[in-house]
Amino acid sequence: MKLKVLPPTLRKNNRYLTLDIKITNPIVKDDLVTIIWDACIRFKGECETSNFNLWVMKFYEIDATDKYYHYKAIVRCQRDFVGEVRSSLALATRYDGNLISISTIGLSGTIKASQKYI
Amino acid sequence: MFFDLNIKGSGLENNMELAIQASSYGWEHINFSYNQNEFKEALKLRDELKDGLEGIIDFDYTLEIKSTNINEIRNHANNFRNRASCISVVGGDLKVNRAVLENMKIDVLSRPYLNRYDSGLNHVLAKEAVRNNVAVELCFKDVLRTYLSPRAKVISNFRDIYALHRKFDFPLVLSSRAESVFDIRTTHDFVEVFKQTGLDDDEITKSFETSENILEFNRNREDLILKGVRRVTDEA
Repeated sequence: MKLKVLPPTLRKNNRYLTLDIKITNPIVKDDLVTIIWDACIRFKGECETSNFNLWVMKFYEIDATDKYYHYKAIVRCQRDFVGEVRSSLALATRYDGNLISISTIGLSGTIKASQKYI
Repeated sequence: MFFDLNIKGSGLENNMELAIQASSYGWEHINFSYNQNEFKEALKLRDELKDGLEGIIDFDYTLEIKSTNINEIRNHANNFRNRASCISVVGGDLKVNRAVLENMKIDVLSRPYLNRYDSGLNHVLAKEAVRNNVAVELCFKDVLRTYLSPRAKVISNFRDIYALHRKFDFPLVLSSRAESVFDIRTTHDFVEVFKQTGLDDDEITKSFETSENILEFNRNREDLILKGVRRVTDEA
């Protein structure tokens, strides 16, 4: 049986980060999930990461150059922890031996609004 | 204004790529840094870079002196003073840290904590930095490219420097020292990382103003007669 949806006052407030991702090898959405969790746990620790309420909502392949593959993604996090999440993601440098760079290029209150940064 | 005084310069193509990426991530001025051996060659690229980056982003050159010989550092600083908009010296050695902070002709002591178990600064050096107006530079790349205990130690060194900065108010400069597009982050991300390590908004804003002031001061350095006295051209 499914749980009843919480009333709005009891729900967590979310923010949606639009990420700009560059990596030397191709990745899929599941890889990004691992990268994001690893980055947050490494920089802020298990206890604080538990507050972040992270979820990869959308994942887009943009293009590929001879130096890197370019992706964009929309990631959900809890409203009061945006700074912690974006700093943790900014400090991700490697995944499976490949160079990676993640920058937050947009911050919105809804998924629809965050899609304008894609 | 977002200023980055230390982006590692290399060939023309890589510099262009870095500058365009930095511009798209919100940076307004960058300085390509070259060491004393590469600086003269790098000056030859200036015009081509200027044409390529016209209207995209402002750029200039930083001379980054890397040596443990104090006399050599002094000579390089004197030789290149008129050609570089900013002169920085890579720190880490206690003698170098002290000699640099006592030298008015040098603008920036870069990474005094490099390869050390402490921050490389104390109250005596902090007072010297204030007296001679030499800025202390912290590099984002030192946090970015380390992990686990080395990263924790770098952040710990940053915090020691923040404590001295709050007490003595010496100029502090934050820079990325990016070598490739993988090292550049948006200005907001850059600020946020330093906020997480313990700096507040005002201190970060002040550090960007310090970078701007260094460039402005060096533009007028030829007109400087004494400390605090400058020749002006307008009669009013």
